[in-house]
Amino acid sequence: MGGTGEMKVAPTVEQVEISCEACGAKIVLDPLLRTARCPYCDSPSVVDRPATADRPDPVFVVGFAVDRKKAARRMREWIGRKKWAPSRLKGKAADRVAGIYLPAYLYSATSATVYSATIGEEYFTTEISRDSKGRTRVRRKRKTEHCDLSGSHAAYVGDVVVTASHGITNHELEAIEPFDLGGLRRYTPAMVSGWISEEPSLAREKCLQLARSESTTAVGRLLHRFMPGDSHRDLQHTTELHDESLDLVLLPVWVFAIRYDERKPPIRILVNGQTGKVGGAIPTSWAKVLKIAAVVLGLLSLPVLIALLVGLLR
Amino acid sequence: MSAADLVCDRCDSPLEVEDLRCPICNRAAPLSAPRDVPEAAVEVMRCGGCGAAVTYSVRELAPSCAFCGSVTLIEVPEDPLEQTEFFLPLTLNRDDAVAAYKRWLSGLGWFRPANLGSASSLESLTPLWWVGWVFTADATVTWAADSNFGARRADWAPHAGQVELDCDDIVVPASRGLSAEETDHLRDSYDLNSAGGEPVSGGGATIVEQFDVPRSTARQRVASRLNRLARTRLEGGHIPGSRFRNVHTSILLRRLVTRRFAFPSYVLAYRYRGTLYRIVISGQDPARILGKAPYAVAKIVLTVCLGLVGVAAVVAALIALIF
Repeated sequence: MGGTGEMKVAPTVEQVEISCEACGAKIVLDPLLRTARCPYCDSPSVVDRPATADRPDPVFVVGFAVDRKKAARRMREWIGRKKWAPSRLKGKAADRVAGIYLPAYLYSATSATVYSATIGEEYFTTEISRDSKGRTRVRRKRKTEHCDLSGSHAAYVGDVVVTASHGITNHELEAIEPFDLGGLRRYTPAMVSGWISEEPSLAREKCLQLARSESTTAVGRLLHRFMPGDSHRDLQHTTELHDESLDLVLLPVWVFAIRYDERKPPIRILVNGQTGKVGGAIPTSWAKVLKIAAVVLGLLSLPVLIALLVGLLR
Repeated sequence: MSAADLVCDRCDSPLEVEDLRCPICNRAAPLSAPRDVPEAAVEVMRCGGCGAAVTYSVRELAPSCAFCGSVTLIEVPEDPLEQTEFFLPLTLNRDDAVAAYKRWLSGLGWFRPANLGSASSLESLTPLWWVGWVFTADATVTWAADSNFGARRADWAPHAGQVELDCDDIVVPASRGLSAEETDHLRDSYDLNSAGGEPVSGGGATIVEQFDVPRSTARQRVASRLNRLARTRLEGGHIPGSRFRNVHTSILLRRLVTRRFAFPSYVLAYRYRGTLYRIVISGQDPARILGKAPYAVAKIVLTVCLGLVGVAAVVAALIALIF
């Protein structure tokens, strides 16, 4: 197995016109898509474009391991656990479902950090006092001695994933992370064949800045665990990142669009196509909030009402 | 590209052919054949069996043909079982091993049975090659810790620093047959430069252990050993003071080269009064020997009693002196 049919196409800046190899139909492909399906014969094809700085070749891909049915079930269970979600949303089926290979960058680097902090070292003192009856009281009191500490920290920073898509923000991606990067595979067109696969739509430099910011935050978290002493405060650090690498990876994401109210735009819920983790912004039902508030208020005022009633009867 | 050519650009550690990323620093392994796409092209993945289009299947976790069910093989990172690369020669012959065993029995001290040497019978003597990883690496270790040095009111004072560690030929045992205590005792007794191709025992039954863990586990064990080694070395001279706590390290490894060795030894079993005991001797150094032997309970009881009588006599003499 494994033969590939290949044909040359005339690329334009915005769109690519391809000929379906199976039926010969002309298909105009969006420049931000890597894959297509012929609308006439449903043949899947994968476009291979020359790499550019902002649209490099994918290096890795994480394959889908969660199918559509399981993803939909996970999504429904997740919405079911949201107590403040509108009731209409809970019973509503998704208006649109798509399994997408989302372009993201996998960043790694060597970090060199200089830090300073105030370290707290605990010790105990014994205090002897006399009470009003003249009895001696011995008390052991915990105290903290503070010492300044400065030093360096060096580490490899890896497995930082940032979105390369305008469509799905980094915040949305973080909600369904982590991906098990042990499941990384070398990219081959066959891995995305038959699925929607996006090209990067964010500038590489912007993604690099995002990855650097995430890495510096991760180093900061590491430093909190690195500090000696019983406690610490005023931890400040400056991190430089060297030997950086930024590799394009295609991540499996199920995207569900649900319109529960005709007057409002549909909400989007994402499901990690590898682990099944669900994320998204669910609107709050203010009607539910008001109902609950009214019930709580009613319960709280019940004793007052009873007292008033008893007073009136007397 | 051969395995010998593959080196990580960031940490200079050798990579295996199957590595997608460097296991030390996570940098992507270089592509063996970088793609060169002069202009846009469309690919339709075709099934080699029936010619139908192939799509990625969630059920198969691989591209497969919906019509005939054929699955396309994809490049998957392999995690093979480790294989021994170097066998160290057994330079100690059987007679020397038996002589070392007898010397060891007779030199165990007064608390052992007096007839241990004469009443013991050697039941078996088997050459055994136990396996282990030997690694070499350069490491930059940044550390932070509490120690008693510079302590004022509290018992501890914080310290931090950075150290360059050279790790040369560090042995990490992977033996199933020998205990950690036994391999730790033997591991410094070998000449690693004497490595040969095959185990040679000089006849008789021979046991050659195999590595029984995959490569990923081996890397974890080596990394774990490195962490312990760094901590030991830091506490041995780099952190000021004599007592330590909260020792935190961050290790930047470079040029980590791991080799897989088989180390020769003799495993002896001897019987004394019906009970079997085991001894392990290094196959390259008769002085490196570790084993179990019985104790003479009567001698120990006698010593304890004599000690108690002595203490009682001293106490009595002191009381007599005071009153």
